[in-house]
Amino acid sequence: MIIGLTQILIFQGLGELFSTFILPGIPGPVIGLVLLLGFLLIKKEVSAHLGLVSDAFTQHLGLLFIPAAVGAILYLPSLKANGVAIVVALLGSLVATFTVSVLTMKCLAKKEKEDSAPS
Amino acid sequence: MKPERLPITEIWVYLSGSPLFALVITLLAYQTGLFLYQRWGRNPLANPVGIAIVIVAVTIHLIDMPYAEYFKGAQFVHFLLGTATVSLAVPIYRGIHNIGSRALPLFAALISGGLVSMVSAVGLAMAMGAEPMIVRSMVAKSITAPIAMGVAQSIGASPTLTAVFAVVTGIAGAIMARFILDFWRVKAWWQRGFAIGIGAHGIGTSRAFSVHPEAGAYSGLAMGLHGVVGAFAIPWMLPLIDRLVG
Repeated sequence: MIIGLTQILIFQGLGELFSTFILPGIPGPVIGLVLLLGFLLIKKEVSAHLGLVSDAFTQHLGLLFIPAAVGAILYLPSLKANGVAIVVALLGSLVATFTVSVLTMKCLAKKEKEDSAPS
Repeated sequence: MKPERLPITEIWVYLSGSPLFALVITLLAYQTGLFLYQRWGRNPLANPVGIAIVIVAVTIHLIDMPYAEYFKGAQFVHFLLGTATVSLAVPIYRGIHNIGSRALPLFAALISGGLVSMVSAVGLAMAMGAEPMIVRSMVAKSITAPIAMGVAQSIGASPTLTAVFAVVTGIAGAIMARFILDFWRVKAWWQRGFAIGIGAHGIGTSRAFSVHPEAGAYSGLAMGLHGVVGAFAIPWMLPLIDRLVG
């Protein structure tokens, strides 16, 4: 557990360094993600330690952005004033995104044996 | 000297001044959210994160705690966002392993879906006359929240608004995906999963996992890749966003 966490923190630190000195504008953790991915692709395996920590984080990702999202209370007046626009934009964008993504895949996918989904 | 008993108000002042209080309400609210989510048969409407955000917001409002003070304590949770982002490399690595001949359709869907998610949200919000700050915070809303917040910061949007839009998008996406995908008669689990991950990131992914493991794996892969590609592409498009949104 601690070994995995240490590895992740080292990559996060490397990412922050890259972000500060080489690639400003790209968030450090994302660069850390890419570096760790490269490391895994070279090593060709995920160690049990790393898998354990990563699964825990992925499973409870939502917990981590609660503190920031609660800040929405500071924007309540503006959220209320723009409520309809926000709902239309978010829902419309979802329909468009799902539609374009699946149609692209359907067009480009070679015919393969499919396990079918219930309709 | 006899130890004096502290009046309750002093205990309160002491507790609310330490990070412990903010941490405890954040974790308790999340636990309550998870409990209600299980209780209501994992209905996507009862999203644990959504419930927790409302509980914390109402609580600190009731006890008159300024948000800045709450955040001072809760920042220990907030800090782990970066660490969690790095650890997303693991599910991406696991997913990339067996894409094989599906690489081209997946990559094309990622790019087209990602672009559409951004352009349609910004376009619709502008057409409806939303404030510039709101419009700008729409740009990264289809990216998984931990990455989206970093991106929002680097393009001068509000990380908070982006996180809220991302949560709403995830919840709505988890509910709507089924109907839209059935409408287009998408049968393959990998296509259904990947589309959900592009549009509705983490919340969509946990929904996809509860329907079918293959859909979940592909959804997780899409969420991770969308985050990475978005984080590199969006800051690069900043001049364009500046010109459009003003």
